[in-house]
Amino acid sequence: MKQAMVLATIAFLGLAMAQGRTVNLLWSGAVTGPTSDVGGPYGTGIEDYCRYANEQRLIPNITLNCTVRDDQYLNPNTQRIFEEALDRAKPAMYLGYSTGAMLQLKPLINEVKMPTLPASAHIGLIDPPNNQYMFLPVSSYSEQVVALMEYINRTDKNAKIALVVNPSPFGRAVVDHARRAAQRLGQSIVDVREVGGGNLDNTALLRALDAAGATYIIHQNVAGPVANILKDAQRLGLNRKIRQMGAVYTGGSDLIRLAGDAAEGFLWASSYHTLDENTAGINLQKQLAQRYNRNADTLNSTNYTAGMLAAAIAVEAMRRAAQRFNGRIDNETVYQALIGMNGPNAFRPGFAVSTKAGVEIDFTRTEQTGAEGLRVLEAKGGKFVPVTDPFTSALFRQVRNP
Amino acid sequence: MRNPWAQTGNYRTSYVQDTTIFANYREIASIVLLLVALCILPLFLERSQVLVLNFILIYAIAVLGLNITTGYAGLISVGQAAFMGVGAYTVALAAPNLPFWITLPLGGFTAAIIGFIVGIPSLRVKHLYLALATLAFQEIFVWVVGRSPALAQGAAIPVEMRNFLGLEIGFRNHNYFWYYVILFVLVLMVMAWRNLLRGKYGRALIAVRDNDRAADAMGMDPGRTKLVAFALGAFYGGVAGGLLAYMQRAVVVEEFTLGRSVALLAMAIVGGLGTVVGSLLGPAFIEFLRLYMERLSEWMKSSAFIQSITPAGVDVASALLPLSFGLVIVLFLIFEPRGLYNWWRLLRSYFRTWPFKY
Repeated sequence: MKQAMVLATIAFLGLAMAQGRTVNLLWSGAVTGPTSDVGGPYGTGIEDYCRYANEQRLIPNITLNCTVRDDQYLNPNTQRIFEEALDRAKPAMYLGYSTGAMLQLKPLINEVKMPTLPASAHIGLIDPPNNQYMFLPVSSYSEQVVALMEYINRTDKNAKIALVVNPSPFGRAVVDHARRAAQRLGQSIVDVREVGGGNLDNTALLRALDAAGATYIIHQNVAGPVANILKDAQRLGLNRKIRQMGAVYTGGSDLIRLAGDAAEGFLWASSYHTLDENTAGINLQKQLAQRYNRNADTLNSTNYTAGMLAAAIAVEAMRRAAQRFNGRIDNETVYQALIGMNGPNAFRPGFAVSTKAGVEIDFTRTEQTGAEGLRVLEAKGGKFVPVTDPFTSALFRQVRNP
Repeated sequence: MRNPWAQTGNYRTSYVQDTTIFANYREIASIVLLLVALCILPLFLERSQVLVLNFILIYAIAVLGLNITTGYAGLISVGQAAFMGVGAYTVALAAPNLPFWITLPLGGFTAAIIGFIVGIPSLRVKHLYLALATLAFQEIFVWVVGRSPALAQGAAIPVEMRNFLGLEIGFRNHNYFWYYVILFVLVLMVMAWRNLLRGKYGRALIAVRDNDRAADAMGMDPGRTKLVAFALGAFYGGVAGGLLAYMQRAVVVEEFTLGRSVALLAMAIVGGLGTVVGSLLGPAFIEFLRLYMERLSEWMKSSAFIQSITPAGVDVASALLPLSFGLVIVLFLIFEPRGLYNWWRLLRSYFRTWPFKY
């Protein structure tokens, strides 16, 4: 009898362990506070994909415990939330957010060997030192800007370009690379201006850039300030004289909502598929938004797609880690799974465009950018439509490490 | 006095007694007890909770400095975060070559020199106009850092210290190690603060704050007093910034913006301007308020009920933190301008005179 009870207990515990193993995934970002227009849908995307992963049992015998925390865009909060997670329920992977906080956390992330996918695509995150465990889901801001310069060069040689960037490390990240790219392409950077939120009148800015002879403005910013500049350019009639374009967080449905018809003609570099495309990822996005009662703004937001992509990469890495390491899912095995996500093992969730080689998401130990393909899209009739095929900026690779 | 431990009033009969650092033995005993409690506190806390304490103690040092400039000398400064930044960047640049016990005072002294220069407008302007001058410095600091390649244009400069006298410092003990360092520095700074303010310089600060022309007529030098007040306040800020740099392992300009300066001023007001106890209570109160508001905001954001009663496009959860900050400051200014220190004083007074009312 006693023996039977022991056996029953062991069997019960074994069953419980097999069924109830939980793996933690942490995201902290600006759900409220500055840039919450990006952070809100991004966090929702992660939340929804995690629910879906649990419902579909994407990782067999594992329950995914996704913690979505609001750091209010404050670096000390991000640090506290990350360390709290390390103390209480060590995540197998960390999905980060802002440039400043991620740059600040780099040494700690490297020390605790935590594979991290930030929402920020600042190239400094994957540059040494302390860069081993940082992975960008999509191409960096710098690559997006250089790609836009290459696009300009297709039709207009020796173009005069002005850069308008956010007054922060997030904005300034692209300036050096853009200068080097301009030199190689024979273009000239006529001015670099820093513009943040609250830029209610940009007359002086636009007149100055016009006087400097700029025929193109490339933005590295969030949608709000760009929308104000676009509206002012339309008011001043400069929209016909100066072509405006920007990196990933400048565009999307947010820009169209904020700028209205002033956004027409705006060029946008993005690695993500649009909502009009029929891909597995976008179809899933529509399906989940409907299932979890998300509003139209969330569904239409590229940041919702971006959040889903980050979560999808994390879940896939965990699934592969479990498969490869006999069910062991922790930061070390997930890191191994991530750097093995290449070649025939590349990941194809259908949220981002593929390169010419047909690769959507791949990582290696030294190539820490996931979706390397990107397209240039143009705002036409109230939505963004692709005007190029997916491409990878060859020039960026030359100017990154000259 | 037959039994100094039972002392219930002020029995000082000489100038020397009047300028002692500690009023009586009971005060010494209570401070020793507090220090012992603070020393053993981390043993009961998680690493991330110690991190919160570290932030509070660092802000307490910065607020102590602000209390010299604003609380004692009456010179409104909204540039304390920039002084912290000067200290932090000095530490970041010096840390690869110098040990932290040199870089920290170096950060403080660099900030003090800048503080002395920033204080120059105080020789000519007062009140709001002076506040604007310090605001300008705050903005200039962020602007200069953002355009200095040597300072990574505001992006992170790593500040790592892996070893101290043979002790390996890593993820496991980082927060604990820096807790004790910060606590030690705070105690030193508090002692220096009290020592400084009990003497003629402290009285000169009060005199200049209350009426600089009268102070001048009595032989004090208001100009020098104001400049030194700025330099001292900045020194405290610089040391706090240096500690923050080590504790966060990197320096990023976003930590030293106007918002942080305003938060430090709020901590000083809520704690009680011109008091040591207020310099500790203010940061603790504001940081815990931030923590609870964060939880409340997260709950509001995830609550279907709250979302259903909120008009579309209105983000109440985002507004919660700034709203609560503003409300707390306004409520304190209206109902308790002497800050939390006054509650502490009343409480202490109650127990000291118990069972009598007075």
